[in-house]
Amino acid sequence: MGTGSLIIMAKSGIESKTLQKSGTFSSRVIDDIQTKAASGIYRMRGYGTLRERHWATFDDLTFLPCSLTRIPLEGYREKCETKTVLGGRFAEQPIKLDIPIMITGMSWGALSYNAKVALAKGASQIGSSNTTGDGGMLDAERENSRTLIYEVLPSRYGINVHHMRMSDGIELTIGQGAKPGTGGLLLESKVSDEIAQKRELPIGVDQRSPARHPDMLGPDDMTIKIEELREATDWRVPIFVKLGASRVYDDVKLAAKAGADVVVVDGMEGGTGASPAIMQEHTGIPTLAAVCEARTALEDMGLYGTVQLIISGGIRDGVDVAKAMALGADAVYIGTAALIALNCNRPIYIEDYKKLDTEPHFCHYCHTGRCPVGVTTQDPELMERLPVDEAAERVTNLLRAMTLEIQMLARACGKSDAHHLEPEDMAALTAEASAICRVPLAGTRRVWGSSNT
Amino acid sequence: MAKLNCNGQTIREINSSIRKCISVGESVAVESPGARHNLGVALLGSGEVTFQGSVGYYCGGLMDGATIRIRGNAGWGLAESMLDGQVIVEGNAGNSAGAAIRGGTLVVQGDSGARTGVSMKNGLIIVTGSCGYMSGFMGQGGKMIICGDAAEALGDSMYETVCFVGGKIADLGNDAIVVDITNEDRAFLDASLRKHLPNTMLKNLPNGDNFKKVVSGKKLWNFDKSDWKTWEQAL
Repeated sequence: MGTGSLIIMAKSGIESKTLQKSGTFSSRVIDDIQTKAASGIYRMRGYGTLRERHWATFDDLTFLPCSLTRIPLEGYREKCETKTVLGGRFAEQPIKLDIPIMITGMSWGALSYNAKVALAKGASQIGSSNTTGDGGMLDAERENSRTLIYEVLPSRYGINVHHMRMSDGIELTIGQGAKPGTGGLLLESKVSDEIAQKRELPIGVDQRSPARHPDMLGPDDMTIKIEELREATDWRVPIFVKLGASRVYDDVKLAAKAGADVVVVDGMEGGTGASPAIMQEHTGIPTLAAVCEARTALEDMGLYGTVQLIISGGIRDGVDVAKAMALGADAVYIGTAALIALNCNRPIYIEDYKKLDTEPHFCHYCHTGRCPVGVTTQDPELMERLPVDEAAERVTNLLRAMTLEIQMLARACGKSDAHHLEPEDMAALTAEASAICRVPLAGTRRVWGSSNT
Repeated sequence: MAKLNCNGQTIREINSSIRKCISVGESVAVESPGARHNLGVALLGSGEVTFQGSVGYYCGGLMDGATIRIRGNAGWGLAESMLDGQVIVEGNAGNSAGAAIRGGTLVVQGDSGARTGVSMKNGLIIVTGSCGYMSGFMGQGGKMIICGDAAEALGDSMYETVCFVGGKIADLGNDAIVVDITNEDRAFLDASLRKHLPNTMLKNLPNGDNFKKVVSGKKLWNFDKSDWKTWEQAL
């Protein structure tokens, strides 16, 4: 019923309780405008995009398990390999993992000490890896990581050649999916004495990290920078280049040409500890689109299989991982899912969610430092709510369960190695997903948008 | 002193030979460096290496403890992320000299390019000539002495780096301010220049009394909506 009808009804004395909200100025938009009108600054928060997903996602694909055309493996019995090797292009010691799911870089600062150590332990217990983040390496992180990837970020907080040489891989981070083209953000409440000391910053500043590396600009510089990192580590460890997913096809080609062993592409569903909200909502391309563009880029260079591809951004379960692998990823990073395993958004300490004007399953207040469950905080009392060993066990369990999900799907598709999953193992459920993934639309033999169908 | 000629050798071979000397505290003279990139990266030790010519990008990058002397010019990112040690360039340095250093001393006995001392965390940078635009950008700590002129946007968005400029400042960056120089500063400047520069250079340089001191105004350290004028360029 339109507004005009309501006015006519009101004038005619007919009562109506129908309320109609503007499709343009929704409650969310009204709240956004009034918040900015009060503050005079754009909104900042953590967690990643909150938008409902109207774009093509991994959910728009379905697996086509074996029937007569292919023979399945026994789902609960036969071996399905998940071992993953990364970085054999130039590194003398490629990274060898038991599973293709890795923990992405999240800083000590964005996360609590307990959260960082729990992630390291949890990943190590199942033969996976952990990554340092924007703030340098923690001793406890190294001690508890079987495989530790050392991130080299534009801020260079805590940059230390000795830590670099103790690592099993180096990730040169160019951007992040949640906010490509911008640097990190750590607001005052999280820049504690310890964090300030580690990052060599004044205590309590609203720390805004740079968007560009201080000593390189374009891909030509990066080629030299990669050689520098190899020299610093005696060509021993793999060099990853991490990109926020924007112009993925070109960026991946440039990273591979610059000499990366591994390219990481982080889609727009990726999380963050803090960022302007608009960057999380309106920049970058979705993870599904990113993996397809990245694979095509490597194929067009003849480097698919030589340069490994890691995909991240909103990966939730083993199904997402299996689909990403079928589309060309060698491994995935998880971040938010791992934090949720730690206890993020768990319905405990409800009163502290309420203090943040939120509730469990709706919380995205990582930027405040008041995380009710001790994951994204520097407050010692809140951090105590996250006992390391128990939290690590949950991370291990999640990684184990996700791996079992991957194996389940792979066996049903007749694969004895999860890395053998391929686009032909799937059908698209929407025309968009078909066009993006070059997988036939279910019920047709057509790849949408393809010129030869 | 050991001698090493770069001709016909890969960077990896050159650095490997240099590291062997540095790790045992031995000095090495490197001939024909040919302005190649990544020379003397990650030198961990107390020895001294002299490059008998110009070097390319990232010379002395990621080093800790060594002394590097360059008898020529240096490319971008000289001594970047140095933890400790000393790097002396007898010529000019390209962009981002001393980027993100956490300690040690970098001496440029000529001019240095844009973003000198960008994101430096600690340590000392001395430039006897002039430096390019945005030098000291986002500097977190340490000190930078520019004996000549500083180009535009000096000290933009700094935290606790202190810049001293003996010549003209073309333009201050966001939130950079000039404050009075103290007796302690004068003593520091005179002592630093005397310690790190040859006497022949000192007579042509300003003394401690003639430097301007640039620090952060601290207005950009925390978001403050009430000071829009300051923030309009920085948000």
